Amino acid sequence: GAWPRLAMEASELWVGFVGAGRMAGGLVRGLLQAGKVPASNILASAPSDKNLDGWRELGCRTTHCNLEVVHRSTLVFLATKPHILPGVLEEIRPAVGSHHIVVSLVAGVTIQTLQRLLPPWTKVLRIMPNLPCVVQAGAMVFSRGSNAGDDEAALLKSLLSSCGLCEEVPESYIDIHTGLSGSGVAYVYLFAEALAEGAVKMGMPGALASRIAAQTLLGAAKMLLETGEHPAKLRGDVCTPGGTTIYALHQLEKGALRATVMNAVEAATNRACDMAKD
Amino acid sequence: VQKMGVNFTVSNKDTVKSSDVLFLAVKPPIIPFILEEVGPDIEARHIVVSCAAGVTISSIEKKLSTFCPTPKVIRCMTNTPVIVREGATVYATGTHADVEDGKLLEQLMASVGFCTEVEEDLIDAVTGLSGSGPAYAFTALDALADGGVKMGLPRRLAVRLGAQALLGAAKMLLESEQHPGQLKDNVCSPGGATIHALHFLESGGFRSLLINAVEASCIRTRELQHLADQEKISPAAIKKTLLDKVKLESPSLSVASGSKVSLFTNKSKKN
Repeated sequence: GAWPRLAMEASELWVGFVGAGRMAGGLVRGLLQAGKVPASNILASAPSDKNLDGWRELGCRTTHCNLEVVHRSTLVFLATKPHILPGVLEEIRPAVGSHHIVVSLVAGVTIQTLQRLLPPWTKVLRIMPNLPCVVQAGAMVFSRGSNAGDDEAALLKSLLSSCGLCEEVPESYIDIHTGLSGSGVAYVYLFAEALAEGAVKMGMPGALASRIAAQTLLGAAKMLLETGEHPAKLRGDVCTPGGTTIYALHQLEKGALRATVMNAVEAATNRACDMAKD
Repeated sequence: VQKMGVNFTVSNKDTVKSSDVLFLAVKPPIIPFILEEVGPDIEARHIVVSCAAGVTISSIEKKLSTFCPTPKVIRCMTNTPVIVREGATVYATGTHADVEDGKLLEQLMASVGFCTEVEEDLIDAVTGLSGSGPAYAFTALDALADGGVKMGLPRRLAVRLGAQALLGAAKMLLESEQHPGQLKDNVCSPGGATIHALHFLESGGFRSLLINAVEASCIRTRELQHLADQEKISPAAIKKTLLDKVKLESPSLSVASGSKVSLFTNKSKKN
């Protein structure tokens, strides 16, 4: 049946990365953490050695030849910059077979485009990770192309869950994910910086303020994820009548923080849509 | 009032003598001299319930103690929807009011809505929230109806639908264990009409406006109370001013001594 085949595939899986930048690096660390694929089964290609040193330190193999990655891998991650991808696809196309599973991490490149530039039998999936994949606390969504089935989706999910949250979605959600979580990480950095600045204004040293700000965000997020409670409820729990928190929240509401954040998600999502069309 | 079958008199003294529970439903500045007027007739059995905004229990007890050693005083803050038996009432008991006295008032006021006991120092906040609250709701309803009219609804229908929407939402919240934030989410389908509308509300700082309103009403209540405590204006001067105003407003009513009637509902209440 399908299950024994899947188990066999994971440990005998040959994984390749075309492009070895930061996002790919984050994913590979997660993969190795999951312990399902040995480092020696992983091959990454990049134009220069700049990024590849880190991969070799992990025990992965490296090359400067994209075709070699496709020849020697079953699961191929495409992790190039968007403007480079079309050229790369043209290069590797002759070597892509029906046994391959091609997973694109490339921002703004649709499944339709990928399928157009690859042979018609190719199993294609598209994934949008976010930066904290590099510390195994990422949020990833993926969608499947016409030839990718339940097995491929299950395989991807099982391999990448060690990098963080990994969910299958309709492709139309991918741009929204960019606005929410891809770019969203930057909103959090901005918020953390502002929190720390507030503390510095009130007299706390900057380094300490920054660490506490980060821990506050981490702790709040952890409570959200672990309790499953509505954020409004958790917020209410922190607000004692007439206390410090409600005074502060009033300031945030005066500044229309909620609407501003909604605007940000909307802007990033729309931009992702526009860029995909280019 | 007489049409309702309630006994009516222009004599405050008569009202006091024939009552056990006495609601003082006059405007706050008039309270001091009403108390002076009816003080001699207050007996141990009387429960004096003041609904006057910003008038403290201690100020009432102080005035009455010259006439009665242990006056039972309860301070109460209610709101206009008591008229339709959906009021929001809180009360705080004074030094000599027993637990049963409070419970009696609670029973009475619970028949016209929600009623609970609170510490007196929260009453200003209650004023800001549920005392003034109906006015916020009326303003919102007027605006919602405008929105409906703008988009093509006849005014009467728009008002009816808006009011029903708020009524229904409030009922859902009161009957649900869920947080209002969760109930809001339940209405917002992804990319749908409601979330688009909510974004507008948030952009306008809707939430902060409501917080500001409750805060402003509460603070103003405290200010008024403070002014009253300082007794900057002599009761006689207030009496004269208000008497003249009452005469202007109700020329048919003969007002001998600023008379008011004890009622369960506060029709002339303005917060």
